[in-house]
Amino acid sequence: MAEDVKPTRKNLMAIEDRIELSERGHDTLEQKRDGLIMEFMDILDQAQDVRSELNSDYETAQRKLNMARAMEGDVAVRGAAAALQEHPEITTQSKNIMGVVVPQIESTKVRKNLSERGYGLLGSSARIDEAADAYEELLETIILAAEVETAMKKMLEEIETTKRRVNALEFKLLPDLYENQDFIEQKLEEQEREEIFRLKKIKGKKEEQEREEREKEAQAQAEREAAVSAD
Amino acid sequence: MSQEIAVIGSPDFTTGFRLAGVRKCENVPDEQKDDDLDDAVERVLEDEDVGIIVMYNDDLDHLSRNARTAVETSIEPTLVTLGGGAGSGGLRDQIKRAIGIDLMEEED
Repeated sequence: MAEDVKPTRKNLMAIEDRIELSERGHDTLEQKRDGLIMEFMDILDQAQDVRSELNSDYETAQRKLNMARAMEGDVAVRGAAAALQEHPEITTQSKNIMGVVVPQIESTKVRKNLSERGYGLLGSSARIDEAADAYEELLETIILAAEVETAMKKMLEEIETTKRRVNALEFKLLPDLYENQDFIEQKLEEQEREEIFRLKKIKGKKEEQEREEREKEAQAQAEREAAVSAD
Repeated sequence: MSQEIAVIGSPDFTTGFRLAGVRKCENVPDEQKDDDLDDAVERVLEDEDVGIIVMYNDDLDHLSRNARTAVETSIEPTLVTLGGGAGSGGLRDQIKRAIGIDLMEEED
């Protein structure tokens, strides 16, 4: 509130400094927000491609699994699934995009050959192998999607935070500071006008006093001169 | 630290992933999803060895609001939904909120 600020020159200078700093911060944050949005757009395109690939891979994998189930039976498919020894693993590293740390996911043991699957050549059929293959491919796309979508989430969080800061500066802090600046300037101008008025009054009074003194002196002089001429 | 992939859903949904070697599977039959899916999600979210959660997009509707928000906004582990559009898993709403425009509109 402007009324809470003491209308002094010192405060006015402090507020002017804060306005300058806030305006500079506002410009920088706006640039950061725009940069983040541009980076986000690139990731969004990538995410949309990955998402459509993910959906088609999922459909293929499901179709192949249903085929394996229909031809080999549910028990055989579940048996093959239970026999697996190798499990896919992921390791996460990070990279920095405009100050946002986004993950880079590396995967191991996703793709396996027949001997690594653990159910043996005799224990399964080509359809189960095809289904396993399709699901391994799906897992690879899922890992890629996880990387891209996590990056998107992190970028969105940063964009939201930056946007909130920009809005706080633009719609709260800067208007308050401008209001305080106007208030102090108006008060100081008012004080200046009062001071000029007061000085004018004092000057008028002083001139009046001097004029009266001059008149009195002139009168006294005239009286003295009259007395001398009468003698 | 190496992490694993976890799959939550009906046994039909998880079987294929088991075939690809995923061992962290939370099987929740369709008829128990309203009651048990929240607990399954909570268990997986608490597991530090899990880096990616895979769920079927429609299964998110069975979650309570808290569990859904927790899994959708989680970054580690991160959620990947299958069977939904590019804006699935809460991303579309988040984009609308952050950017101010529905960038996923053309995907519908």
